[in-house]
Amino acid sequence: MFRNVLLACLALLGGVVALYAAAEREPRAAFTYVNPSDIHTLDPARMSWTQDFRIALNLWEGLTTSDPRTTEPVAGAARLPPRVSDDGLTYVFTIRPDARWSNGDAVVAADFLRGWRRALEPGTATDYTFLLTDHIAGAAGYVAWRREAVARLTALKRRSEGGTVDTRQMPALEQVAALGPGMAASGAAEHDRKSGSAAADGMSFHVRSARKHAAEMDERFSHIGARAIDDRTLEVRLIHPCAYFLDLAAFPCFLPCHESIELLRERYAGLPITAEGLVAYDPQWTKPRYHRNGYPGLITNGPFRLEDWRIKRRARLVVNPFYYDAASIRCRTIDMLVYDNLTAAIMAYEAGAVDFLPAMDVPYDHEIARLAQSGERPDFHLCQTFATYFLNFNCVSDSVNGRSNPLRDARVRRALSLALDKHALVERVLNRGDRVARSFVPPGAIPEYHPPAGLPMDVAEARRLLADAGLDPAAGPAIELLHVATDELICQAVARMWEENLGLRVELRSKESKTFGEDKAEHRYMIARGNWYGDYMDPTTFLDCLATGNGNNDSGYSNPHYDALLRDAAAMRDPAVRLGLLRAAEAILVEEDFPILPILHYATPIAIKPQVQGLYPNPRLRFPFRDLVVQR
Amino acid sequence: MSKRVLRRIILGVLTVFGVYALTFLLVVSVPGNPFQQGERNMPREAAEALRARYNMDNNWAYFGQFLRGALRWDFGPTFTYADWTCNQIIAESLPVSMILGFLAMVLAVMIGIPVGVGSAVRRDGWFDVGTLGFVLLGISLPTFVTGSALLTLLSVTWKLAPVGGWGTLAHLPLPALTLSLPFMATIARLTRVAMLDALSSDFLRTATAKGASPRVVIWRHAFRVAFLPVLSYLGPATAQAMTGSFVVEKVFGVPGMGQHFVNAALNRDAGLILSTVLVFSTLLVAFNVLIDVLYAWLDPRITEAV
Repeated sequence: MFRNVLLACLALLGGVVALYAAAEREPRAAFTYVNPSDIHTLDPARMSWTQDFRIALNLWEGLTTSDPRTTEPVAGAARLPPRVSDDGLTYVFTIRPDARWSNGDAVVAADFLRGWRRALEPGTATDYTFLLTDHIAGAAGYVAWRREAVARLTALKRRSEGGTVDTRQMPALEQVAALGPGMAASGAAEHDRKSGSAAADGMSFHVRSARKHAAEMDERFSHIGARAIDDRTLEVRLIHPCAYFLDLAAFPCFLPCHESIELLRERYAGLPITAEGLVAYDPQWTKPRYHRNGYPGLITNGPFRLEDWRIKRRARLVVNPFYYDAASIRCRTIDMLVYDNLTAAIMAYEAGAVDFLPAMDVPYDHEIARLAQSGERPDFHLCQTFATYFLNFNCVSDSVNGRSNPLRDARVRRALSLALDKHALVERVLNRGDRVARSFVPPGAIPEYHPPAGLPMDVAEARRLLADAGLDPAAGPAIELLHVATDELICQAVARMWEENLGLRVELRSKESKTFGEDKAEHRYMIARGNWYGDYMDPTTFLDCLATGNGNNDSGYSNPHYDALLRDAAAMRDPAVRLGLLRAAEAILVEEDFPILPILHYATPIAIKPQVQGLYPNPRLRFPFRDLVVQR
Repeated sequence: MSKRVLRRIILGVLTVFGVYALTFLLVVSVPGNPFQQGERNMPREAAEALRARYNMDNNWAYFGQFLRGALRWDFGPTFTYADWTCNQIIAESLPVSMILGFLAMVLAVMIGIPVGVGSAVRRDGWFDVGTLGFVLLGISLPTFVTGSALLTLLSVTWKLAPVGGWGTLAHLPLPALTLSLPFMATIARLTRVAMLDALSSDFLRTATAKGASPRVVIWRHAFRVAFLPVLSYLGPATAQAMTGSFVVEKVFGVPGMGQHFVNAALNRDAGLILSTVLVFSTLLVAFNVLIDVLYAWLDPRITEAV
């Protein structure tokens, strides 16, 4: 009997192996690169990761696009320069007559409006909505109107389902009471449960409200400061002059979207919104071979189109044959492989299976940096990034975890900043080629902007400031430093420096990243690590984070003078004066108030095989692939 | 017999439901926003809209909705990889893990059992002592050590196999071997102990005295008894091997399901956590039921107990 079992096992084994061997194998792409994790989403309206941006910016093309060498904006789907009004508020873009989608359709102005609208609408909007609402006239008002409606319709939906209503939704319900006949907010749910017909009333009232709202949506949207004058002309009205608008126009949330997506729109009672009032699409729309409801599969307008995407394995890009410059693209197929383990990715690179590694965050990154800097490995490069690693100081909370929070006092924050030896941290502790940060905005990336110099290290002054603030380092409570596991080394070094230089007691608390993120956003910390990658080439991509009430103001910092400087700069037309105002604002951060303590600007190691040309190390880690040439 | 099997199946379904309920409780009580990506804080309104859309602001509704979907083999959306459904992720990764797990288990059985039998027959001989070392290594060395060592030696130094990845025959042997080592060692150990027990029993002495050849004594009589504890280990072990190993997948870049167990939890991806747990627990329960049935078939004496 066991012989039979053994034979059966062997037969099965042989079958599996044969099946596996028979499976179709595609030839290797002309160029292969590695992503450390899979694409989180290919929806340009929702993406937030650099690696997702990278692939999106090769699949789609905005009004402008990034120069592969400098990452400066160059003409994309629109001609440059646009017509700009004298007050700098109105841009009129002309779309290239030969701009085409990957199915051959012409790219029209309405495609851009569709893409931008998706980045705004509750339901499809996520992290980067602010890039539109902060710049395009009327966009913020539209979004506010929509959000209010979503809250109302969500509450109505709950009620029509006969459920109880969350007290958080009461304000929205009160608005309903004002609108609807005899629909008092309190006890309405109770009333519904008593009589079945009332629930039906609630249902039809919900549908009526949704219908009324949906009817108004397009009309309202047509009044925001972005409109199609004709198929090839797009007019944008801004809230204030924006020196970097052409750079923004290349950003993922400003990418166009092909009309075929409307085939996959979720509908409720025949309306173009969900029962909650959200705008939603079947998330499968980013798949190249998804055909529900006649959908043709993902259509893009960039130099490449998506041929295949298998989660956690690879994505394959091939040249978009309808791209206006398709003839000049030399590298016709590109594979993005997923390697969770970057050491395995480096081994694959060394073995020749991979041509490009856009990240090498490995435990031995100092060794990689050394190889790159010494020239021993000319194929390793360090990108001095447009990014800052810093510490957040909690400026708002009176107490944290039951202890009083000494960091509310600016003198304490200043003292901690003065007592930190950043050079020792960067050069001796980490030693991976990063630059010491004196300012929040990384210097050099924006040619005309020279960030403030910050303050030199001064331990004596730091001690004096602590005494001034009435903080006795030995007797006072320990200061908590919150970080994630990857920061262990640097945070230990920081704690040690404060202990040695100031006699402070510092407690390190390591948290898993999701809980860490929540604690940080809700100010449940004293000091917390932070990092920030600039999204566009202007100081405001950093400085806006510390404006009062900004969603990313994790230190809870608020200074009316700082806010006023940012506002003045926003309204300023003269670029030099504007950057001067921003510099003055940044000086408040790093020379007076210290809501944050910038430590370093990352150097990101990348590896490019010598036979690859047309890829350039750059501070934004954007790597447009259209100039690639691979010699084999 | 069929009545007993039915009872086991019903118990199994209840077990899976219990696991689901418990996992659900853990999922909703853990802090952390599943929609948050990277360092940037998601605007509150956007997070609320997403929570409303996925029914996550109402735990009971979500509990029922997910369960109803799961019964129709529809596990709904994932939050980390917004463009994919849980079904798609499982469909992409479970076959990979099953192929690898199956290979690993075949290797483990085909090597583990002869080693166990051999070391029991020549107890304290050189073979027994020698394999004890191998077995101890297999049990005590974590797979990230054995995997990395195999990778460095065979792929990087000797270039006998590709450095990780998936898609060709050459990608199979190293991860399969790595995955099989702990199972192989355990099987060898279990077999040895059970064989020693069986070999010292009276009926075998009788069989030997009646002139049965050592081969018949060992394989037909002793092993048949000794195989039972190994069989009961094989059920859960196969389920475990076939649903993937986070470590082996990470070391060799294998796109299997093991990584999703860990990453989904780290990402607070409720849908993916629940679906991977459901798939794993269903497989585990199914294999256990199967083994119970096999058990009764192999050894009529214990039918009563099943």
